[in-house]
Amino acid sequence: MAERSFKKEVLKLRAGEGDLFQGEGILAITKALLQSGVSYVGGYQGSPISHLMDVLNDAQDVLGELGVHFEASGSEATAAAMLSASINYPLRGAVTWKSTVGTNVASDALSNLASSGVVGGAMVIVGEDYGEGSSIMQERTYAFAMKAQMWLMDPRPNLPSIVDMIEKGFQLSEASNTPIFYMMRIRGCHVTGEFVAKDNLAPQFSNLNPVTPNREAEKIILPPHVYQQERDKISQRWPAAIDFIQQHKLNEFFPGKQEELGIITCGGTYNTIIRALERQGLADCFGNSDIPLYVMNVAYPIVPDEVAEFCLGKKHILLIEEGQPAYIEPAIQSLLRKKDIQTQVYGKDILPQTGDVTGQVLLTGLTRFMEIAGRSSTTKISSLEVDQLQSPLQEDDRESLLQNVPPRPSGLCTGCPERPLFSAIKQVQAEIGPFHISSDIGCHSFATLAPFNLGNTIMGYGLSLASSSSIRHVLPHKSISIMGDGGFWHNGLSSGVASAVFNNHDGLLIIINNGYSAATGGQDIPSMVEPNNLIATTMDAERLERDQSQSIERACRGAGVEWLRTISTYSISEMKETLTEALTTKQGGLKVIIAEGECMLNRQRRIKPLMKKSIEDGKRTLRARFYIDSKTCTGDHACIRISGCPSLTIKDNPDPLRTDPVSYVDNSCVGCGVCGDNVHSAVLCPSFSKIDLLSNPNAIDSTMSRIRRAVIGWFERRDQRREIRQAL
Amino acid sequence: MTAGSELRSTNIIVTALGGEGGGVLANWLIEVANANDWTVQSTSLAGVAQRTGATIYYLEIFPRADIKDSPPIMSLSPTQGDIDIAISSEIAEAGRMLQRGFVTPDRTTVISSSHRVYAIDEKTEIADGTMQAETILDIANRYSKHFVHYDMQDIAQRNNSVISSVLFGALAGSGALPFGRESYEEVIRQTGKAVATNLAAFDDSYEIAQNTTNPVAHYQPVTGDAESQTRGFSLPEATTIQGQKLLARLAADFPSATHEIVYEGVRKALEYQDFDYAAYYLDQVASIVAVDTVDEKFELSNTTARYLALWMCFEDIPRVAQLKIRHQRMQEIRQEVKAQDQQIIYVTEYFRPRPEEICAILPAPLGRAIIGSSLGRRALGLVSGAKKLKTNTLAIYFALRFLAMLRRFRRSSLGYQHEHSMINNWLAAIRLSASSDRTLAVEIAECGRIVKGYGSTRERTSEQNIAIVSAYNDHPQLLAEDIKTLRNAALADDSNTAFNQKISALTTA
Repeated sequence: MAERSFKKEVLKLRAGEGDLFQGEGILAITKALLQSGVSYVGGYQGSPISHLMDVLNDAQDVLGELGVHFEASGSEATAAAMLSASINYPLRGAVTWKSTVGTNVASDALSNLASSGVVGGAMVIVGEDYGEGSSIMQERTYAFAMKAQMWLMDPRPNLPSIVDMIEKGFQLSEASNTPIFYMMRIRGCHVTGEFVAKDNLAPQFSNLNPVTPNREAEKIILPPHVYQQERDKISQRWPAAIDFIQQHKLNEFFPGKQEELGIITCGGTYNTIIRALERQGLADCFGNSDIPLYVMNVAYPIVPDEVAEFCLGKKHILLIEEGQPAYIEPAIQSLLRKKDIQTQVYGKDILPQTGDVTGQVLLTGLTRFMEIAGRSSTTKISSLEVDQLQSPLQEDDRESLLQNVPPRPSGLCTGCPERPLFSAIKQVQAEIGPFHISSDIGCHSFATLAPFNLGNTIMGYGLSLASSSSIRHVLPHKSISIMGDGGFWHNGLSSGVASAVFNNHDGLLIIINNGYSAATGGQDIPSMVEPNNLIATTMDAERLERDQSQSIERACRGAGVEWLRTISTYSISEMKETLTEALTTKQGGLKVIIAEGECMLNRQRRIKPLMKKSIEDGKRTLRARFYIDSKTCTGDHACIRISGCPSLTIKDNPDPLRTDPVSYVDNSCVGCGVCGDNVHSAVLCPSFSKIDLLSNPNAIDSTMSRIRRAVIGWFERRDQRREIRQAL
Repeated sequence: MTAGSELRSTNIIVTALGGEGGGVLANWLIEVANANDWTVQSTSLAGVAQRTGATIYYLEIFPRADIKDSPPIMSLSPTQGDIDIAISSEIAEAGRMLQRGFVTPDRTTVISSSHRVYAIDEKTEIADGTMQAETILDIANRYSKHFVHYDMQDIAQRNNSVISSVLFGALAGSGALPFGRESYEEVIRQTGKAVATNLAAFDDSYEIAQNTTNPVAHYQPVTGDAESQTRGFSLPEATTIQGQKLLARLAADFPSATHEIVYEGVRKALEYQDFDYAAYYLDQVASIVAVDTVDEKFELSNTTARYLALWMCFEDIPRVAQLKIRHQRMQEIRQEVKAQDQQIIYVTEYFRPRPEEICAILPAPLGRAIIGSSLGRRALGLVSGAKKLKTNTLAIYFALRFLAMLRRFRRSSLGYQHEHSMINNWLAAIRLSASSDRTLAVEIAECGRIVKGYGSTRERTSEQNIAIVSAYNDHPQLLAEDIKTLRNAALADDSNTAFNQKISALTTA
């Protein structure tokens, strides 16, 4: 059950010839895949293509009607290996993942795929998580395309182009027997717009029409075939691709009246440069530009003849290439040199070497380019004015804002089951720390930030335990690795657990089992946590489990783990004891704690309707939330420093004598009970209370409540009278 | 330039906090633009699934009537100096847009709620780490073409709606887009969800936003300071005979600049203990006023009076029990958790007294004996420890009443003697330093602020205060600046790290 449901939107995928399709980029891509007659799709979730996986998942009815096979792959490597279906058979297939992290994982399969070559169009839709809003280290997919020889498409980010290039990409793949990277930037994935649809195409082969098994020995990656495959890449596939790109005009030329100038850009950055031209008065909002443009919707391979044709007769060229190192720029420089074309090409010498190509970057770069070209008389805004736009603020105002705009980093959600785990670790650290912790990819990586500040390295998805293996012999404590259930199934079981047991790794692995691939939007994973009876509600929904749930515990035992405990994360004291035991026990070997607690976002999505129904049905129902007594709170905020819950915040102190704000639980509290448990386990203060709101009380509730109110009310009235006597 | 060069898209940026409904608002914007026959392109940086951090939505809209052959080329990312409307659900996020250059005086209408949602760094401070909305309001006002701002969270809550509805109403009311009110309302109706409450919030916000087109309603920074507000304070009339005595003394013997704080202090001491205790509080403050001679603001007296009152009303077990059975408390809780009339609620307190806290309420010799013996501590271990107590059950209510009643014997308790000996040391240091260096005395008085918390936190913070006072006593060369450094170090972290560093640096130098 993913965070976002596309059940309604996927109906649009049935649109036929001539229908106007409106929607998001990812939905358009799915529609384009169906229009291209794909036979199989798969992938692994991760921003920015998580929603593409959600769309495919929700679209299984539509896919099924056409006979398209879908798999939620176990990892990017799994997904990449799917593309092998296109090696022997004319099957079109597409897989998707987050890049470059996913491409790293998939590289083994991709290299083999690219060497064997394909007969059916094979496409990897990579969500290029680069620049603002990225959650990973900054690298480019381009390098993978070059080293494995896969073509890299980077289409203009509008829906008609996106759809058209998917269809052309499959054709290019087949024409050149080469798999394709189809690159979508973060914003492109989420862009909304419209295009005119075509009919969906059922694949030639499917479960309805099986293939005849076909063995082609020369496609297997063993000597001597690998040598021939390498020769084919250069002698056959490359020229075929160049021909196809030119013939079918995958790249675009836009004319302009300032003919001695030109701009070369990849499709993905086209809109941004048009806006810069528009603001400089060099283009209108429809893209009619005074400066000629050459737009590479295929970023790799570069088509030498097209580049030469564009540059010939031009004095100055601005080349826009996002990310580093630059690959296109040196290629074009070298190409022009060889062809003895004397055009001056400006790229990363006047544009920034690193970072994403934003509107401001291109406005600045374009302005500088026009100055160098001696054509600044044709621009509207001077370079000085452009620089000022970067920050219109005066110095003292800029300084005031620096002082008064706090950073707002990501953190764990309200009620997150991982919070109590990190509260427990922080408390244990205070007793027997300090700790060196190998962290992993997932929501839990936010524990490396305030207020927990736990974690020293992140080496990749499911690799925390593996990365502990080299530091464990120099640590003053047993090694500590934290891994999510997603990372465990993705990679951690083999790279981590199996290897650690094999090497007799005397350390602690904490596997956080929240039931979903939570950080990417709550997709299902092989294991499914058993929902705890949380404090939040008396609702204990039915055990949610996949038909054939794969248990983390049994997998660990199978890999040879002997010391293994499963603890609810919400039991902070028990967790502290177990952590201490694991870190101090004389028993050697790997210690695994499975820290279990259902992802609260998913849980709330599940529980809320049930709770509403229970109340409507007249059943006795309790709903809990927490409350801080601002009379007893002294404003020390220790509770916040071991929690960081968004609903645990501060407000002005109602006591006129106190100057520091008091802690405060706002109405978004889901009553998970962590702050109360922290009060106990960390010995905090007497300010926290759990408030249970009762709906549909039974006779006992009502009678007891009446009696209590009467008795307590009598005393309260007496107190009131005394208060009047004892007043100033 | 080519035809159509005068045309350009209208660019809108929306920033919200994760889970706040920025996406909902972006979708409504798309709908309302479509309904008015404008074409829309929107993008977002939704990032990860977590409900924290800031999210950004960016929309460009363009009238279809102006499209000739092909649709306009729209940018996917907001650019400095190219934003027509900047919408923010929280004022610090509006500040971030200002920082990023998304607000320019020639073009940008800023629509922001003026309320604060505190960020983690502001919340984890031991003292007060909050940043000020006023500064951002002032700057936003000066750098925007038009600034619509009010507490939209409050309007949302009052209408039982969400902030998206209020922001949507603010946008409609601001007139920044040429769309009729009806078309916005229709978008809300079309959703079919919470229509009545969302429309009510929209309407409230629409009216306010319309009125802010009047420049008079623009934000005016508050001039004047705390001092002028103090001057406005006059002592209330007494309601009891004994109260009359205290207030008369306050009026006669204390300078008027100290009245407000000392009055609050007296009130607190009285509510905490009795009239005698309140009178004793006045005695103590008077000893400071006596040495606070040259300053017409009486900063030293005020600072001492403030923290003295808080310290004298230290939170021992009887105090906590007294506060838990306050007759107003249940009503306050019901309001806060939005309980319906007559709805039954249960209140479960989380207590964890340590043996130390229990000994603190025993008569001093007994308490000292028990805490000093391991057997005694172990015995107390049976009654101390984690407790979840339902305050609104009779047994617990009466147990708490009993504990609250123990305050009658407080003066002979171990805790009382301990706290008052620390208080007296602190006051003595203030008086002593006041004679030579008044700034230094104020700094020592300010050190009353660090004493707070319960259990081990209380121990740590009290010890820090003692350490500062003895540092002053033993090292007469310490300056006001040094005391301030120590106090800030005490508030820097809760592990004594910074404090120990500073104090050893200053006292060994």
